[in-house]
Amino acid sequence: MPEFVSNLLNILLVALHVLVFPGLLFAAVGGLLLAGIDRKVLARMQRRVGPPIVQPFYDFFKLMGKETIIPAAARPGIYQAAPIIGMVSLSLMMLFFPIFGHSAAFATKADLIVILYLLTIPAVALIIGGSASGSPFAGVGISREMVVMLGYELPLVMVLLTVAKKVGGDTMTFALEDIAVWQLANGSLLFHWSMIPAAIAFLLIIPAEVGTQPFDVAEAETEICEGPLIEYSGAPLAIFKLNTAMKMFVMTALFQVLFLGGIDLGKYWLLGGAVLFVISAVLTVLCMTFIHAITARLKVEHLFKFYWTVVAGLALVSLVLVWFGL
Amino acid sequence: MIQFYEHFPVISVMGLFLAAFLVEIFGNKNKTIRYGISLIACLAAAAMTLYLIIPVFRDGKIISYWMGGWAPEGGYAFGIGYEIDGLGLFFGILTSITFLMSVIFSKRYMERDAHLGHYYTLFLMLAGSVLGLVFTGDVFNLFIMIEIMTFAAVALTAFRHGKHPEALEGAFKYLVLGSIGSSLTLLGVALLYLSTHTLNMAQISALLSSQGFKPTTLFAFAMMLSGLAVKSFVVPFHTPAADAYATAPASVSTLFSGMVNKAGIYGMIRLTYILFRVMDRESVMLLLALIGALTMFVGVTMALAQHDFKRLLAFHSISQIGYVLMSVGLGSVLGLYGGLFHALNHTLFKGLLFLTAGAVYYATGTTNLDKLGGLAKRMPATTACFLVGAFAISGIPPFNGFASKWLIYQAAYEKAVQSGNFVYVIITITALLVSVMTLASFIKVTSAAFLGQQPASLKEVKEVPFSMQLPMFIMSALCLICGLLYRPVLTYLVGPAVSAAMDPSAYIDTMMGSGYAITHGVLPSSMGFAMISAWDPRFWLLLFIIVTCAVTLVAVSDARTRGPVSLPQPGETDAKHATFFGGEKSTHSHVSGSDLFWGFKKDLKGYFHVIGDLHSGRTNDYALWVVLGVTVIMLFTFIFLS
Repeated sequence: MPEFVSNLLNILLVALHVLVFPGLLFAAVGGLLLAGIDRKVLARMQRRVGPPIVQPFYDFFKLMGKETIIPAAARPGIYQAAPIIGMVSLSLMMLFFPIFGHSAAFATKADLIVILYLLTIPAVALIIGGSASGSPFAGVGISREMVVMLGYELPLVMVLLTVAKKVGGDTMTFALEDIAVWQLANGSLLFHWSMIPAAIAFLLIIPAEVGTQPFDVAEAETEICEGPLIEYSGAPLAIFKLNTAMKMFVMTALFQVLFLGGIDLGKYWLLGGAVLFVISAVLTVLCMTFIHAITARLKVEHLFKFYWTVVAGLALVSLVLVWFGL
Repeated sequence: MIQFYEHFPVISVMGLFLAAFLVEIFGNKNKTIRYGISLIACLAAAAMTLYLIIPVFRDGKIISYWMGGWAPEGGYAFGIGYEIDGLGLFFGILTSITFLMSVIFSKRYMERDAHLGHYYTLFLMLAGSVLGLVFTGDVFNLFIMIEIMTFAAVALTAFRHGKHPEALEGAFKYLVLGSIGSSLTLLGVALLYLSTHTLNMAQISALLSSQGFKPTTLFAFAMMLSGLAVKSFVVPFHTPAADAYATAPASVSTLFSGMVNKAGIYGMIRLTYILFRVMDRESVMLLLALIGALTMFVGVTMALAQHDFKRLLAFHSISQIGYVLMSVGLGSVLGLYGGLFHALNHTLFKGLLFLTAGAVYYATGTTNLDKLGGLAKRMPATTACFLVGAFAISGIPPFNGFASKWLIYQAAYEKAVQSGNFVYVIITITALLVSVMTLASFIKVTSAAFLGQQPASLKEVKEVPFSMQLPMFIMSALCLICGLLYRPVLTYLVGPAVSAAMDPSAYIDTMMGSGYAITHGVLPSSMGFAMISAWDPRFWLLLFIIVTCAVTLVAVSDARTRGPVSLPQPGETDAKHATFFGGEKSTHSHVSGSDLFWGFKKDLKGYFHVIGDLHSGRTNDYALWVVLGVTVIMLFTFIFLS
C-alpha cells in the first residue's frame, strides 16, 4: 500500500520536524550551547575561568534527576503544567522560521503577528506557574515580569511593523516567507541603512525577553531569589531553565530571519546555513554577554523607561524612515 | 406567499415582551412559574433567531415583515417594517446567545435576592428590546427600542441597591447619560424625518443617496452618531458603563457587555454603512478609527488601575468595543470582517468573564481583588473557565480573541499602507500594545483572585452549582471553537453580515420593491478582500497537544517512581506571608494583589494622574464629557462632510 506508506512517512517527517529538527531537540541543544557560551565568555570577561561550555547540559540533567517538591500552597496541576506548556510552544515556534531562504517546515502556517503572540506564551507560562506556587517572592517576580513584558512589547511591535512595511512596500505583508524571499532578492535587511536602528532595537529586546542582566529584574537572584522560580525544584525547574535557553535560541533565530535572511547559499544551504546560523547566533549572544558583563541590574521602572524611550525611539526612527520609502 | 419563518423575528421580540408581562402578573409569588416563563421565552426567542440562519445566511434571503400589512404605497413606506438582513441577524445571534446564557446562569445566581419577579420582567424587557432593535427596519422604532433598553438597563443596574448602595449611584449615572444619548438619537430621527419624510431605513438610505447631504441631514447624522456612541460606551461617553457594569448583578453585566453595547455598535454600523453610506469617505473612517483607538487605550489603562473584579471587566469591555469600532471604522472589507468577528468574540469571552465574576461573587460574597486569593483550589471549574476567557481576551493563540485581533491588525496596517496615513500606523501600534496591557491586567486578576495565597476567610468557599457552571462551559467551548475554526465562522457567520453592510442595495430593494435602489443611485458594491497571511490554529493546536502529551507522558512516568513531596507549610497566622498578597496597602510591600504594576504606573504617573482626575465620579463632569464629545463629532461632521 504505497499511499499508506507515504502517509506514514509524512507523519514521521512531521514528527521529526517537531521533535528533532528544527523543533524541540535542535532548539534545546542549541539553546543550552548558547547559554554555555554565554557563561564561559562572561566568566572570561570577568577574569574568571568559568564553567565548561557544556555546563548547562550538566545542570539540566542534574536537575532532572532531583526530587520535585510541590509546596502545599501551590496548585499542583497548573504548577506542573506551566513549564511544559512554555517549552512546547517555544519548540513549535522554530517550525515557522525559514532559514536562509530555505522554506521553514511549516512557513505558510503562521506570520509575524502570530509569532509575536506565540512569543508571549512562554512568558505567560512562567507568570502563571510562579503565581500558582503561592509564594510572595513569586508575586514580586511576576509583577516585574509583567512590567518587563509591557516594556519590550512596544518596541518589538514597532520593529515588526517596520519589517512588514519595508518588505511589503505598498502591498504590505506579514508573511515570514515573503520576508525571506524579499531578502534573497534585495539583500539582508540589516544592510539597509534605514533598518539598522530597528535591528539594534531588536538586539536590545533579546536580553529583556530572555531575562539576562541588566534586564533580569523579574528573576533577580540576589534580590528576590529568582522570583517566579523560587518554589520550583527538580524537573519543572530544569524545564524552566531550558525554556530560558531555548528562548535565547528562538530569539536569535528570529533575528536572523528578520534581518539576516539575504545570504543565498545555493545548493550548500544546509551546511552553509548551519555554519552561518551558528556564527550569527554566537555573535548575537556575544552582544548580550557584553552588555551583561559591563552593567548592573536596572530597577524595574528604569527598565520600563529605557524600553519605551530609547529602544522604542530607535524602532520609531526606522519606522519613520521606512515609511518615507528609505 | 409568506414563509412560516418570516413570522419568527416579530414573534421572538413580541414573545419576550409578552413573557415580561406574564412574569409580572403570574410570577411574583411562585418561583417555578416565574423562572419557567422566562426560560421558555428566552429559549423560544433564541431558537427562532438561530433558525433564521438557514434562510438568511445560507440562502441569502432578506426577510421583510410589515406590521399589520402596511406595505409601502406609492413609493413611500408608512408602516413599521421589520427587516432582517445579514447584519441584523448577526447581532441577533449575539443577543440570543447572551440572554440565553444569562438566564440559565440567573437561576441560582439570583436565588438569594428578593423581588425576583421584577428582575425577570426587566430582564425579558431588555432582551426583547435589543432583539427588536437589531431586527427593526424603522428608525423611530429603533429609537423606541433604545428607550426600552436604556430604562430596563437602568432599573436592572439598581436591582441590588439594598445590599449595595453604590448600585443606585451607578444607575443614576446611567440614567442621566443614557437619557442624553436617547434625546440625541431622537433629535436625529426627527431631523431625518423632516428632510426625507419617511422613517423607513431602506427608503431613507435610497433618498439620501439621491438627494445628497443637506445641513439638516448632516446635523441629524452627527446627533444620531453621538446618541448611538453614548449607547455603545465609547470614549468620551464611556463613564456610566464602569459604574453600571460593576454594580449590576453579574448576569446583567453579561447582558450589558454581550448585547447592550453591541446594540450601540450595531446602530453605528447601520447608520454609517447603510443609512448615510459615508464609509467611503476618508474623514469618517479617520473619525471612527480614532475614537476606537482612544477608547481601547483609555479603557485598558483605566482597567489596569482597578481593584474590583467587575469594574476591571467593565473597563475591558469598553476597551474591546474600541477594537470593534476601530476596525469597523476602517471601512474596508477586511476591517469589517475583523470588527464583526471581534464583536462576536467579545460577546463570548466577556460574557464568560462576567459569569465567572458572578460565580466568584456567589461563592465568596465579594468581587474586591484585595480580599480574594487562591480560589483555584476551591473553585477549579470556575478557574479553568476564567483562564479560557482571560487568554481569549488577551489574544493568546489559539483562542478566539487572537483570531479576530489578528484580522484587525492586518486590516489596520493594510489601511495604513494603502492610505499612506501615518495615523493608522500609530493606531495599529496602539492596538497591538493594548492587547499586551489586557494580558497584564488579566494576569493581575489571575494572580490576585485565583492563584496566589488564600486568605483565611476563604477556606470554606465552595464551587458554584452546575446550573451556573453550564453556561460558563458552553461559552468556554465556543471561545475555543471560534478560535480554532475561525475560517468557517468567518465564511458562514461573519461573511453574510459583511456583505449586508457593504452592499445595501438588496436591503433597499427587498423593502421598497426591486429597482428602487438603482433608481436612487445606490449601486451594488464589490466585495473583494485578501488576507495578508495565513494562520492555521488547528494545525498549531494539534502539534501542541501531541507534543505536550508526549512530554507529559515522559514526565509522569518519571514522577511516578518518586512522587511529589509536600513540605510543611507555615501556619496562616504568620504575618510575614500575609504581607505580600491580600492588599494591606499600609505595609511596606508594594505588591498587593491589586497593585501589580507599580513599576509601570510609576513611569506613567503623569498620564495616570490626568486620567484619574478626569474620571472624577461626578455625574455633572460626565455629562460635560458627553457634551464635549457631541460637539467634537458635530464640528467634525460639518467641517469634513459637507
